[in-house]
Amino acid sequence: MGAAGGTIAPDRILHDMADLWVTLGKQGEGDAGVLRACSMTLVVAAEESDDAQAIGETLAALMPEHPSRAIVIRFRAEGERGLSARVFAQCWMPFGHRQQICCEQIEIAASDASLPDLAAVVLPLTVPDLPVILWCRSPRLFHLPAFSLLASIAQKVVLDSAAFSDAATVLYRMNEISGALASGHWLADLSWTRLTRWRELIAQIFENRAQLANLPTVSDILISHRAAATPATAYYLGAWLIEGLAQAGAHARVQFRSDGGEPAWRLSLVELRAQGSADAIASIALAEGHAAEVRTGGLVSKALLPALTDYALMREELAIPGRDPVFERALAAAAKLALS
Amino acid sequence: MSLENPFQDPLRFERRVPECAMVIFGANGDLTKRKLLPALYRLAYERRLDAGFAVLGISRTAMTDDQFREKMLASVKEFLEDSPFDADVWTAFAQGIFYMAGNFDDAALFPALDARLKAIEAARHTGGNVLFYLSAQPSQYIPIAQGIAAANVGKGSGWRRIVIEKPFGHDLASAQKLSTELHSAFEESEVYRIDHYLGKETVQNILALRFGNGIFEPLWNRRYVNHVQITAAESIGVEGRGAYYQEAGALRDMIQNHLSQVLATIAMEPSATFRPNSVRDERSKLLRSIRVMKPDEVLQNTVSGQYGPAHIGGEDVPGFRQEPGVKPDAQTDTYAAVTFFVDNWRWAGVPFYLRSGKHLPKRVTEIAIQFNAAPLAIFNGDETTTAPNLLILRIQPEEGISLKFLSKRPGTGMKLRPVSMDFNYGSSFGERSPSAYETLLLDAIIGDATLYTRQDMVEASWAVVDAIQHVWDETKFEFPNYAAGTWGPKAADDMLARHGHVWRQP
Repeated sequence: MGAAGGTIAPDRILHDMADLWVTLGKQGEGDAGVLRACSMTLVVAAEESDDAQAIGETLAALMPEHPSRAIVIRFRAEGERGLSARVFAQCWMPFGHRQQICCEQIEIAASDASLPDLAAVVLPLTVPDLPVILWCRSPRLFHLPAFSLLASIAQKVVLDSAAFSDAATVLYRMNEISGALASGHWLADLSWTRLTRWRELIAQIFENRAQLANLPTVSDILISHRAAATPATAYYLGAWLIEGLAQAGAHARVQFRSDGGEPAWRLSLVELRAQGSADAIASIALAEGHAAEVRTGGLVSKALLPALTDYALMREELAIPGRDPVFERALAAAAKLALS
Repeated sequence: MSLENPFQDPLRFERRVPECAMVIFGANGDLTKRKLLPALYRLAYERRLDAGFAVLGISRTAMTDDQFREKMLASVKEFLEDSPFDADVWTAFAQGIFYMAGNFDDAALFPALDARLKAIEAARHTGGNVLFYLSAQPSQYIPIAQGIAAANVGKGSGWRRIVIEKPFGHDLASAQKLSTELHSAFEESEVYRIDHYLGKETVQNILALRFGNGIFEPLWNRRYVNHVQITAAESIGVEGRGAYYQEAGALRDMIQNHLSQVLATIAMEPSATFRPNSVRDERSKLLRSIRVMKPDEVLQNTVSGQYGPAHIGGEDVPGFRQEPGVKPDAQTDTYAAVTFFVDNWRWAGVPFYLRSGKHLPKRVTEIAIQFNAAPLAIFNGDETTTAPNLLILRIQPEEGISLKFLSKRPGTGMKLRPVSMDFNYGSSFGERSPSAYETLLLDAIIGDATLYTRQDMVEASWAVVDAIQHVWDETKFEFPNYAAGTWGPKAADDMLARHGHVWRQP
């Protein structure tokens, strides 16, 4: 349906989706039929050159936990104003069941020039009464002036600052946008999501009352990362730690150190020290593979910190459809830290 | 003012878990191997435990710490369900596992335990917090409680809590005695009576369904609900536990605890807050509202059953009396069905049918809430056009919720058919659900007793069950009265038929 250089009618897409459900219903075994599941509209904005198979696999993995109407928009930089679309279903058969569960997927091909037209197409395709999440996979799209039209449909826009070349600039820009967003609209950053396990380990260390008592004495934070330039993840973690320590009455300095290696955004060490003390109050060091060594109070424990896939990151973000005040504070502090 | 952890992020992190040591009495037993250690390892794997978390196992067998660790490693590997095993995580976790041999009747054990706990506290920074877990034989609960009280191990520099497994006594009097002994060492608020049914995701989801949504609660009463059926069926027999089961029976083993708690969760009034005592107060009130049967009402409203031999799937299945360790004339109920009435304004007159049995056709636990039929049948047709609405809450094996309602058949004419709207917990939320033991152990460490049973709840359910058990004890039943692999005795169908109802076939 539709063709490059053509237009698409949302009513037509909705009609095609209705037909799709009739067809799926007929294919169902006996009386089992298919079960339609939907908890949100997930709009994915990607470049035409982005790995279509990887996006499809990520969406398929997300569907059982976050069943959604997925609208995948693939942009090409060149070409005249035009849109085309097709609809299909993502189905799975839960183990031990006779009934398939299916989610709808709409794929739209668009040129940059047609970006101003897209909001009018996407808006009627969103599922009523359910949240709309926009996952922007391309830094280039984020910078296009008309992108804000598409973003305004969504309650939450998910970006990945790791994909941008300059962490400080993008953090500053994101903080600016975040502050200007209307009530009921939020921004998320997968660089922050990558830190959840690190942050949770740190928080868990200080659940222990003996360790908590040491918190006001922390004077120095060391964060080691792989990239040559300090990545957004390091700024976020540093800013979050400084804020937390300030609440505990400690005024700590943060030092970033590059260890080199890949992936660039990955952290390798975080260490909290008191002035003049030989031993760290707490440290988490990435060891071999995905294991991390947690040292605190003379005890050493192991935790797993696997590299997180797009699926794992989006799974976490989709579980938070509303405001995330801890992230908002960290973004503001990280932007300030990166520019200082 | 005490310092608060400034790094918590409740939106993204799991619940806060304090430092503690856990003492397991009966550390060499099946429960420890199959459930407790795998659940604790899993919590460690998920980074849910404090770095210094320690386990001190106690049982009679002489073993070193390392031998105990080896044994627990084998158990974790064998019984870790749906989860990967990571050697590094285990190695770090195992550093906090300790063992001491001792006899629970020996008064010298408890001062030695106290000294060991102090050493662990110093080495692992457990802050004096101790969770005692009675995974021992029920006959040893009282000696352990007495030992803890005599050595004053129930008090310390941090919090002390004790978790006990069912049975909480074998009748009302013994349950009260057990409580008195436990209270000699612990306050009631420190006693955590575990009922693993309450830790199941779908049982917790009953609360979410009822009190998180506005549409169900207005229907949740005698005006709209016709009756409720709660079924806990097992497809297996006593599996070598004949000698134990012979003394318990389905009424005591299932209905007094698990199913009564499920009934309380289904029928309780909304609690004002989701705080442990607020929720438990409502559960307790409901249990106290269950009508206690008079002796002459018992045989009309209950059915006792015992399975006999059968041939299932090409295999001969022995009857209960042919099981090892079971007396040939045993009067044990391997099946129990009960009609309860809840005497309050919400539920007056609504029958709650509870049944549980061994060697039934399939393993299933579910709650079926049958609503009243439409007041007027305006559509001509067969009985399916007046089929009542059913809300099914499936607890196991496929956790989920189904709503059955009538819909027009496609085509000309006005023909109706029942259809099912399903929510499948496992497939709708792909995340691995924590096991009931993971949930409940974490709750006990955190100090959240919402899903634990309180003494007044135990006593209320024993009061109801004792009235039935006394009559059953005086009655000589013609056992066996159902063949293994069937849905129980015919008398159970008759019991419902007297109210114009039939059992649902799950």
